[in-house]
Amino acid sequence: MGDLLSDDREQKETFDRYVVPEIEVLHRVARSITRTTTDAEDLVQDTMLRAYRAIARFDGRHPRPWLLTIMRNAQVNRVRRKRPELMRDPDATMARIASQNKDNADPEAQVLDQGYDAAIESALNALPEKFRVVIELVDVHALHYQEAADVLGLPIGTITSRLHRARKRIRKHLEQHGGYINGRPA
Amino acid sequence: MIQRPWYRRKSSPTNCREVGRVLQHYLDNDMGTEWAARVAEHLEACKDCGMEEETYQKIKLALGRQRPAVHDDAVSRLREFGRSLTDG
Repeated sequence: MGDLLSDDREQKETFDRYVVPEIEVLHRVARSITRTTTDAEDLVQDTMLRAYRAIARFDGRHPRPWLLTIMRNAQVNRVRRKRPELMRDPDATMARIASQNKDNADPEAQVLDQGYDAAIESALNALPEKFRVVIELVDVHALHYQEAADVLGLPIGTITSRLHRARKRIRKHLEQHGGYINGRPA
Repeated sequence: MIQRPWYRRKSSPTNCREVGRVLQHYLDNDMGTEWAARVAEHLEACKDCGMEEETYQKIKLALGRQRPAVHDDAVSRLREFGRSLTDG
């Protein structure tokens, strides 16, 4: 009995130390890979529940990649339940469900350079989704390459390749549609 | 033995072509310090490469500003959910 209580207390401490501090990041990432804020919240809850059930097996090293991998698996299961036909290509599915949440753009950023940021947003929206989701995770949400690889279930080389190609596409789009050459108005 | 990626090996980039190959890794701080120093040195000296780096740096910064604001209510609810898990 004493051992059980001790185990419970240890699991609670591990959860509070490693999972709770990541909630904000998990929510941001979930918003990038689901279409709605409600789905994002549900996905984070699902991730937290799975993490809590597995906490006794977690060694305390690299909590964020561990949690992002759990989130990826949770998302794959959620999509499978909702849309079984989409699971033929999980990678494409993850990319397809990626979306932007731009209704709360940072006011400070708007003041800094509204025109350029609007052009960037347009370029981002014009990207094929498999590129856009990588840009969102790495450049928008500041995940490391490996963390983006964990959440999308892709090799790190695929992440860097898509990231670099996506940035080149954004640059080209800015030149062709935004009138920005080398980052400056033409 | 773990094979280091080519852009992390000892020899450093010395010309525009080599710098062009590693520029994106440089932007993401995904590079050893010796390489990063050599790239920085080249970017300082070469106007074309410097402009290239500035262009991508500006894009990266603007993408960072696309980050949506934190939903405080949602995060609070999730913290509460976490407490409900650990409190049984």
